[in-house]
Amino acid sequence: MSTPGKAAKKEKKKPIPVKTSLNNPYDLRWAPLEKGQKAFILNCLTETIEALGLKKIQVRVKGLRSSRRRKSKQRDSKPPEAEKTARQPGWSDEASRRQLAIGINEVTKGLEKDELSLVLVCSSIRPAHMISHLIPLSRTRAVPACQVPGLSEGLSGALGLSSVLALGFKRGDTAFSNTVGEIASKVPPLCVPWVPTEKEGQKRKLDLSHEPGQDPTPTLQPLKVKKTIPNPSKIRKPKKKKASAQKQKK
Amino acid sequence: SFRFKGSITTFQRLNFLYQAAHCVLAQNPQNVELARFYCFTQKTIARRLVLRQDPSVKRTLCKRCCSLLIPGVTSTVRQRSRRRQSVTVIRCVSCGLTRTFPNNPKHQLWVDQPEAQSASDRYKWFLKYHVGNFLSLLNFVPTEAQNQPSKAAVQGDKPAKSTGAASSTPNPTS
Repeated sequence: MSTPGKAAKKEKKKPIPVKTSLNNPYDLRWAPLEKGQKAFILNCLTETIEALGLKKIQVRVKGLRSSRRRKSKQRDSKPPEAEKTARQPGWSDEASRRQLAIGINEVTKGLEKDELSLVLVCSSIRPAHMISHLIPLSRTRAVPACQVPGLSEGLSGALGLSSVLALGFKRGDTAFSNTVGEIASKVPPLCVPWVPTEKEGQKRKLDLSHEPGQDPTPTLQPLKVKKTIPNPSKIRKPKKKKASAQKQKK
Repeated sequence: SFRFKGSITTFQRLNFLYQAAHCVLAQNPQNVELARFYCFTQKTIARRLVLRQDPSVKRTLCKRCCSLLIPGVTSTVRQRSRRRQSVTVIRCVSCGLTRTFPNNPKHQLWVDQPEAQSASDRYKWFLKYHVGNFLSLLNFVPTEAQNQPSKAAVQGDKPAKSTGAASSTPNPTS
């Protein structure tokens, strides 16, 4: 490029190019819970779960190879033992298990089919995009959804699972309907700007004059623009030297 | 430079089309075609003027058919385990295109990292210090459209000259 002499004279530092990009006008976030409500929700849930005695029993298989060797040796000496635990591996209460949707995939499917009445999500989930799709999903089906910090820690022990990242309660008369009602009343509403807020009454046009705060038609969000510096450690392909290629052709 | 590449009005158009597509699907979830047309127009404008869109916008648009992806309405989201890596799979309902995102807790897009954001912070500081009116440009309101571009053109020269000094002094080590 420039000779070292010229560089010494001018010492022009290249200004860092700033890239402008269109940012998403909707910033979908989980509504923050008040302090006391988290403990209240967890207590409610653990009480109902323990009252039902709902738990998953998992038989640990320690060292498959060693157990096979032991089994072949012990066949003659000891009579074949059935599983050590008295219960079969699985869920203790199948009917109650069907009234819950445990796991992100189950909760998503339940929301798509409009089967759920309440959705609870753990805040310890990382990366957040695993659960961000539940916000618009639950808002479109008008299902109260809430992010509870420490849901996984609190309920995994009670249910006998390693982690509970998402929990959904199905509609209808279930063993959980009382708890669902109590929790749902405390859950703050989710804000998704493009979903129109529906009023229960049929006379929407007449109500507009009385309650100007709630708009049935969504408002235009302001333009958000992001300005970023290009990544200095970006891996780029080396540019082919056109001068040497032309000389070779000649 | 402090001038937007292209113009503020084109970003406004993209923003409006994007929001209009959302509203269309909110009012009538079956009318996927209109939302797809809006997003197709949005993509075409951005491609013609070479405007950059944030990944948070691009990830909600299908790459093949340009339809707006809303989980539950026009797309399905599932958690899958690919060998040992758990993966989030977003599938477009209309064209069937699948996009996978590995669930790496440590991964963060460059755009979301604090290093990349420093441009806007420096920009904001400069604006606050020198030109107070420019702040409204960042959170643009459509009603003030007529006033802003003229101001941007007039005052674009002054900050441009001093950007070299302002941006070169706190130079990030590459």
